[in-house]
Amino acid sequence: MAVPARTVLQPEMSGTRQQILILHLAEPDLGAQTVAWALFDGSRPAGDQQMQAGDQPDPPYESVVDAMHAGWRVVQLPQLPTYPQGAEHETGPLPWEYVLERCVRLEAANDD
Amino acid sequence: MTTETQMSHRIGALEMARFVVDGFLEYGDLVPDDLNAQVHRDALAYPKNRGYNPNKPREFWNFSDAVREVFDLPAVRGVVESLVGPDAIHDHSFLHTVAPGKREAQRWHVDSSLALDHPRQFDILVCYFPHDAPAEMGPTLVLPGSHVRRVSYHDVTRYKNFLGQRQLSGPGGRIAFIHESLWHCAQPNQTDQWRFMFKIRYLPRVEQRGLFSADDLDEAEIEAFYNDSNRKYPWAGDQFVAMGQAWRSWWRYLSEAA
Repeated sequence: MAVPARTVLQPEMSGTRQQILILHLAEPDLGAQTVAWALFDGSRPAGDQQMQAGDQPDPPYESVVDAMHAGWRVVQLPQLPTYPQGAEHETGPLPWEYVLERCVRLEAANDD
Repeated sequence: MTTETQMSHRIGALEMARFVVDGFLEYGDLVPDDLNAQVHRDALAYPKNRGYNPNKPREFWNFSDAVREVFDLPAVRGVVESLVGPDAIHDHSFLHTVAPGKREAQRWHVDSSLALDHPRQFDILVCYFPHDAPAEMGPTLVLPGSHVRRVSYHDVTRYKNFLGQRQLSGPGGRIAFIHESLWHCAQPNQTDQWRFMFKIRYLPRVEQRGLFSADDLDEAEIEAFYNDSNRKYPWAGDQFVAMGQAWRSWWRYLSEAA
């Protein structure tokens, strides 16, 4: 029997892994300044150390647009806010959170 | 009981305003060197990595005469009373350690859920570093200004790095008096020495207003301080306006009773 044309390759079969980069910007504009960042790197071996709290003084990209130029794909844009009456000045988690991803080949990812 | 001695050590209006903006106050000159050295010796003699036992909430406090002496200093009690009032409850205390060579950072977190009247109603975390703690030894990392944000306990663990994050590194004897909602985490220790930090959580018994010394209160100076602090935290981005509103609202509550 022939292999169905729509067979989905599992990541471990494809030899690529996903990297998730979360950039928090000063404003909703994708060109605004990066003010916080986190990387979760699926290409690192299990048990290997991921980005740690406080381990980088400078962001990897100045903005989301800057990261897009480097090949990252934006997979989530933050919803713009609404302001319930009486809570106009409340603040909570950082609002302008962009999630980006890219898939990297294992052999390339392990070069660094 | 508040004494005349503690009254004379109350923090001033500008220091109170600094606490409102930063979420903590840090002092390096409250504790004599010989007392810091004794607490350090006690910490080294204490069982390592004991772990916190909620049924024994004051183990190192009971173990070390010297650490009790530190927190009985009028200068230390004066700051505590300025923030949480007289006869504050010593909820629990613990000797926090980071082992030599520990590579992992603690995740960002907050030591509380939200108070009913956040940020005006708050416990304080008093963090005492008895020995020199350079950055490579892993002293606590804090995000100054984060205490006015409405988040709870582990909501912030997904964050890793911020513009404006700051490590409480420096010479021995420093004490940081921290608002319960300040985001913070322990850091890796790249040295071959144990890193110690003794922390007490104090709970207020009173409404937290009018507790600081208003003798030097100059409202124009305070307003200028808030204006100058507007853009202090790049991580806050365009929400600096909302944070400024939170500071001023809190300040009116604090100072109208002063």
